[in-house]
Amino acid sequence: MSWRAFLAGADLRCRLSQIAEASIRYSATGTLRSGVIMQSLDLSSRRTFLARAGGGAGMLAYTALCGAEESAFVSHAKPRARRVIWLFMHGGPSHVDLFDPKPVLTKYAGQPLPESFGNVMTRRNVARNPLMAPIRRFRPRGNSGLEISEFLPHLASHADDLCVVRSLHGDSVNHPQSVYQMNTGSILMGNPSVGSWVAYGLGTENRNMPAFVVLPDPGGGLKGGPPAWGSGYLPATYQGVTMRAGKSPILDLQPQMGVNTRQQQEDLSLIRFLNERHQRLRDMDDQLDARVRAYELAFRMQAAAPNLVDTSNESKETLRTYGIDDPRTQEFGHRCLLARRMVERGVRFVQLYSGNTNGWDAHADVDQNHTEHCLKTDKPAAGLLTDLKQRGLLEDTLVIWCGEFGRMPMSEQGKGRDHNPWGFCGWLAGAGIPGGRAYGATDDIGLRAAVDRVSINDFHATILHLMGIDHEALTYFHNGLDKRLTGPDEAHVVDEIIA
Amino acid sequence: MSSTRLLRNKENLILFGALSIRPGSAAFGRFLLSVAVLLYVVWQPVHSAIADESTGGYVEAPITEGDRDHWAFRPLVRLDPPEHRFSQWRINEIDDFIAAELQNSGLVPQSAAPKRTLVRRLFLDVTGLPPTSAQIDSFLLDSSPDAWPELVRNVLADKGYGERWAQHWLDLARFAETDGFEHDKVRPEAWWYRDWVIDAFNADMPYDEFIAQQLAGDEMYPGDKVAATATQFCLSGPDMPDINLLEERRHTVLNELTTTIGEAILGLQVGCAQCHDHKYDPISQADFYRLRAVFAPSLKLQKNKSLTSLQETVPWKKSAHVMIRGDFRRPGPEVLPAAIRVVALDSDLHLAPRKATAGYRTAFVQWLMNNAQSLTARVIVNRIWQHHFGAGIVDTPNDFGIMGALPSNQHLLDWLAVRLVESGWRLKSLHELILNSASYRQASYRTSSADSSEDEVWQRSLSKDPHARLLSRYPRWRLEGEAIRDSMLMASGQLNRRAGGPGVRPPLPKELVDTLLKKQWVVTEDESEHYRRSIYVFARRNLRYPIFEAFDRPAANASCAQRSTSTTAPQALYLLNSEFTLTTSRKLARDVLQQSDKQNQLIDTVFLRILGRPPTSQETEHVIEFLRRQQQFTSSKVDALTHLCLSLFNTSEFIFVD
Repeated sequence: MSWRAFLAGADLRCRLSQIAEASIRYSATGTLRSGVIMQSLDLSSRRTFLARAGGGAGMLAYTALCGAEESAFVSHAKPRARRVIWLFMHGGPSHVDLFDPKPVLTKYAGQPLPESFGNVMTRRNVARNPLMAPIRRFRPRGNSGLEISEFLPHLASHADDLCVVRSLHGDSVNHPQSVYQMNTGSILMGNPSVGSWVAYGLGTENRNMPAFVVLPDPGGGLKGGPPAWGSGYLPATYQGVTMRAGKSPILDLQPQMGVNTRQQQEDLSLIRFLNERHQRLRDMDDQLDARVRAYELAFRMQAAAPNLVDTSNESKETLRTYGIDDPRTQEFGHRCLLARRMVERGVRFVQLYSGNTNGWDAHADVDQNHTEHCLKTDKPAAGLLTDLKQRGLLEDTLVIWCGEFGRMPMSEQGKGRDHNPWGFCGWLAGAGIPGGRAYGATDDIGLRAAVDRVSINDFHATILHLMGIDHEALTYFHNGLDKRLTGPDEAHVVDEIIA
Repeated sequence: MSSTRLLRNKENLILFGALSIRPGSAAFGRFLLSVAVLLYVVWQPVHSAIADESTGGYVEAPITEGDRDHWAFRPLVRLDPPEHRFSQWRINEIDDFIAAELQNSGLVPQSAAPKRTLVRRLFLDVTGLPPTSAQIDSFLLDSSPDAWPELVRNVLADKGYGERWAQHWLDLARFAETDGFEHDKVRPEAWWYRDWVIDAFNADMPYDEFIAQQLAGDEMYPGDKVAATATQFCLSGPDMPDINLLEERRHTVLNELTTTIGEAILGLQVGCAQCHDHKYDPISQADFYRLRAVFAPSLKLQKNKSLTSLQETVPWKKSAHVMIRGDFRRPGPEVLPAAIRVVALDSDLHLAPRKATAGYRTAFVQWLMNNAQSLTARVIVNRIWQHHFGAGIVDTPNDFGIMGALPSNQHLLDWLAVRLVESGWRLKSLHELILNSASYRQASYRTSSADSSEDEVWQRSLSKDPHARLLSRYPRWRLEGEAIRDSMLMASGQLNRRAGGPGVRPPLPKELVDTLLKKQWVVTEDESEHYRRSIYVFARRNLRYPIFEAFDRPAANASCAQRSTSTTAPQALYLLNSEFTLTTSRKLARDVLQQSDKQNQLIDTVFLRILGRPPTSQETEHVIEFLRRQQQFTSSKVDALTHLCLSLFNTSEFIFVD
């Protein structure tokens, strides 16, 4: 059989398995009526159909906005993670200086990269530069003895909660491509981000809030820009909604100066009157109905969002946990606290960026750069874990920490390090993942992922799996293909990470 | 693949498929598709796939008779328009094809929508701007039978036509004025191309010439700067000029442009074949790299320099290869420039080299317009149709392949394609034919005066043709962000209709500017420029203008044939709360108050300017009460009226076209 035919068959299998799955549910419970099966089958086909037909996309949008509906993509009954908080360290934190101890690198510091490592593609031609020893000492932490460097004293106290993935690897030595890959699975612009896929697959739990919220670094300048949380070819409904701390957390959330709430209520009531009449004459058209509801949601968001970002009721103790009482940690701490308030209120996917245009991009001086960024984020991130745990939220919240890549074992400009997508670290916590562990390994000097390698696609498949989604079933029909986050090639859930 | 696995799934399909899938439902469509794919898999000729060291394991499968038998690749068939029983209703041949299908489905077409509805539909559809009160009145008063055809001619002659339809094409061309990626640098010549597209539409440039210049303008008209500008089409996609390896950049750009040409012009997902043969369509990886080879000699790259237009290197000494798994470091077997085999029996390029060119692209254009004429014509006809009716005759406008949708009315599609070619590829004559048809003029909703038999017809249309794909009524559509903004500017009398020139940058909210690198959005100094039509707003790849983004403008990262139309809370927030809505409403309120201060006249004028109709008496009553309540909060008449304008800008009636 030809290659083409083989793949066609493979794709067909996915589609058939959805049908088969519904039928299994039918036979297992016996009492379920076929109507229930219809519903679950219809959900996926209806989404695709509506998205393609365009005409009914309003309805699609409406369900995404307002309904915690039964998902067609959930693969197992009980998802381990109901929500995700993703701490994205923009610029590329140095794994060999933070979470991946390399005694061999200390030993050979100052010498060139041994020939045996072959050619290395780098962004700034550093392949022949001398190796540089880890900047800070690593120590075994917690009961587990997981090694974490002295850059991160606060996170180190959570060592027993972390599963460090030490064998991540990507495909590009450039920032934007790698930012896109970590977020969308592809180094090219314009694909849906993980958060968009999750919003598409699971909808929102909170009728007043979007499913996917992004809290960018107030310094701005993410390399690659907003497409990092874009919805790509998925409907715009699923893109990350950016929120900020302060009085205006969402663009145009509040009326302009000089317009008071009661005036706006009059406006809304006139709009409702005219829209309802308009819709009545048009057979209660779905799309028009969705519009009426979008206005209702907008109105609820106006009330809910300020409340969400208003932290005046949080205790002093809580604020201190996040480092909000300290000017150095105040900013990131505040956003971590907002993240907790969001997941608490049913936002499914919250992504926080640390680092402005340069961020963790320590080309010139790792010590100086990482001292600054670790100081800003270490206590708040640790505080987030503490707080989530205290509130019982960590059990079913997945916390992710990573950058778009790591850094080279060779030095750059004497004290800095260049980008390294060939092997780097990220960690997961919560969602019942056993902590105090490292999974996979880079080679002796931290140049390339060597043992139990985890591609970005595998990493994404694992995240989706934790949320109860089968990454092969979460598809969207676009340009003649069922597209998915994990791409056309094989990707695997890394069971040992979840263990 | 294990055959038992397949068999088991097949059983599942038969057992449970029948149990749970309702005929006529979307799921049923997917079910049929699955069966079709299954049959295709089982009976497809078995190709040899034996790995061969010398070709990097790559063996190309031949094109079979069966491959060529796919509907989109077959020659155009000119059928006479069918007979039907709606001869009273029909106006031109389009209606015959539509009516015959409706009759087959037990449906009845709708009579024409009210004139006021029609004139608004026509203007917004063709120019993206609403008609003025004077334009509405003159059409309402003109009772001659030629009133409509004459209006159609006039509206098509308005420069607004090019300004609207150019955007449809720019979506396909993934056009933006910056590079994207990290630095998102400005491409200072990009607006030349945007203006070229607008001018081409307005001048009714024949479609074959339109494509020829975009693919090969520099080859065909040496030294002609305008024609060379057109080739920016090929290089309008995202690009990273500061990437380390120029070879990687070349590979990415060439693959991207080949993909775009496949989608936008051939309506085929050629790009799926860059890493391995297309999963479903008979498009091999070698096909992809042959097509790419047509363009390879014309891509001049300089480190840190943005892309502009094509420029051929003659003679070109590099060979072209299939890149194994799409990896730029792994050249496989060598290929020569050629077209896509399955599309036409002859896919060789017949080169006529000249001094400054080997003539690859000119030869490819000739192939597109001659050998591949059936497909090329079907694809563009479908696009024109799609923008007039909200959906194409083929529902997947960038995929005419096996996984694409079947045409809902293939005879009509073919008839129109033949007509287009015969008319010398003139798009305006195609528009005219469509706009003059009874199908286009149908009502989109039932008028309150409908009697019981009309009512029954209507109910049948709703239930049997739920998305109006068969056109048993006119399908309502939502304005794009660009048209919403332009309509608001026009209603408030602020629209600046100056044409062409560099992109303008109206002010952005501070929160958005903060997400950009420094100086990436320097507001245009001359304030009157801020009120130019939306197509002239600077198109930054990494930051879409807020109202456009909220209303589904595609990110210019890949060819987009059909925008989605989502309905979201941020849209509502934008229209309710943005500074733009408030200032536009206030401007309109002031304008109207200068003309009159009688309340009823004010209300009438505001309705006419925003919705293109006077209010009903019930609405007037309601609005009088609204203004009275607003005046509790403000002593200013302007303020109260501003809120009326703002509210009307938020209505579904303003955002949707009947």
